[in-house]
Amino acid sequence: MNMDPLGRPADFLLVEDNPGDVRLTQEALKNHKVQNNLHVVTDGEEAMDFLRRQGKHKNAPRPDIILLDLNLPRKDGREVLAEIKSDPDLKTIPVVIITSSEAEQDIVKSYNLNANCYVTKPVDLDQFIKVVQSINDFWLTIVKLPSAPR
Amino acid sequence: MDNFDIPLASRAYSSTDLAKLQIFEKILKGNVEGIIITDTHGNIEWVNNTFSLLTGHAKAEAQGKHLGFLFSGEQDIYESLCPKLNEVNHHEVETRMRRKDGDEFPVELTLSAVRGDADMITHHVLEFSDITELCHAREELTQRTRELSRSNQELEQFAYVASHDLQEPLRMIASYTQLIAQRYRGKLDADADEFIGYAVDGATRMQAIINDLLKLSRVGTHNTVFTRVNAQAALDRALANLRLVIEESGASIVCDPLPSLNADESQLTQLFQNLIGNALKFRGSSSPCIQIGAEHQGEAWVFHVRDNGIGIAPEYSERIFLMFQRLHGKKEYPGTGIGLTICKKIIEHHGGRIWVESEQGKGSTFYFAIPTTLH
Repeated sequence: MNMDPLGRPADFLLVEDNPGDVRLTQEALKNHKVQNNLHVVTDGEEAMDFLRRQGKHKNAPRPDIILLDLNLPRKDGREVLAEIKSDPDLKTIPVVIITSSEAEQDIVKSYNLNANCYVTKPVDLDQFIKVVQSINDFWLTIVKLPSAPR
Repeated sequence: MDNFDIPLASRAYSSTDLAKLQIFEKILKGNVEGIIITDTHGNIEWVNNTFSLLTGHAKAEAQGKHLGFLFSGEQDIYESLCPKLNEVNHHEVETRMRRKDGDEFPVELTLSAVRGDADMITHHVLEFSDITELCHAREELTQRTRELSRSNQELEQFAYVASHDLQEPLRMIASYTQLIAQRYRGKLDADADEFIGYAVDGATRMQAIINDLLKLSRVGTHNTVFTRVNAQAALDRALANLRLVIEESGASIVCDPLPSLNADESQLTQLFQNLIGNALKFRGSSSPCIQIGAEHQGEAWVFHVRDNGIGIAPEYSERIFLMFQRLHGKKEYPGTGIGLTICKKIIEHHGGRIWVESEQGKGSTFYFAIPTTLH
């Protein structure tokens, strides 16, 4: 059964410095109906290198969706978000903020920086898995996204 | 002596009735306040004993002098107040006076006019008392209040940060013990299953506690916003949040019409949710009946949440509002022991009161009063 609307596995970019959360996301996406490649970077600088195909990420694919934590070493998630959304080549990639912060100011700031949605990491494992899978389903099978600018 | 009108009495000062004058002088002399009588230009004509006691100036030293020397130079209280005496009969100020040794001391000073024939001002009377101790006490009070509010703020901040930051590592423990449970339960040995069970249970309970602590600390740190709130809407939201438990318990919930009042909407919702949640949790053998209403009493709305649950023995009616106080084992009735503490804090934030009336086995009624004067 091919549930794959892209006609190829989706490329996820997960920007997350906590290995525990990385693994949980991997577990959540494992065996999910949509095939995917999960690329992981652990800080904001590396995220930008990946997106701009610089350094060791020269051959990186253009991700179909970015899962971005806010609190990251070196370059903060908010800065990464601002850079993505002001870059004409990158701004159409949906960015899902997934963070443990429930602070109103983080939510407001993220949307002001044009985050596509803001999700707090659920404390419960089953909820966490459900959230990651819902993000996947919604952004990769339900919504229509433009193709990458040439 | 308290009701003794000094300016009126001082009128006798210019009286010609010598006997009267002597009586008044006796009374004025021993008055607890320092008294200075001047002419309308501020030249001292008479002072009492307390004056000498407080300022260190003997009567003879003061008499005949302009009273300016008793005040610090920066600002001539007397000069600035005198003109006003034409409009009002007396003035009260706090100022500083100078003692003979040069030291200054704070005083509370009343300046009044003595009127003679045809209502003409003939003399000025200054009554003063040393308020050094009062000033110290005031300063100390301000200082302590400041310290107290700072330490309170720090505590609230600490509770918030601690519970917030603990959530992160705890999420890891909880998620991974759950993952182990899901993947390996029944695949290791019986001991392993038991251990996993305890670990999952412990992490889950700790999460509940941390969540409640966060809620509790938010009642303080997050700015409480008092707006016009429809209590009915707050209740409806609470009931919606409890929908699953209500359905599962088969509870019947009856609600009188509720008023609109000034309150913090989300806190009021939380309050209803905790009280109704308790009513559902501590149900008896029959299916739960919960009745909610409000009554206007004096300057407050008194709400009640009445249930037919297991009730509370009267000796515990105070204790249940304290943090981590539980009356039952965790197996019978799970919970963190923070729910009613949150209710109490919310109500205290609203300047109100919360209490319970109950009898063991006969249900409980929780009351909370919110003043209508809240802004």
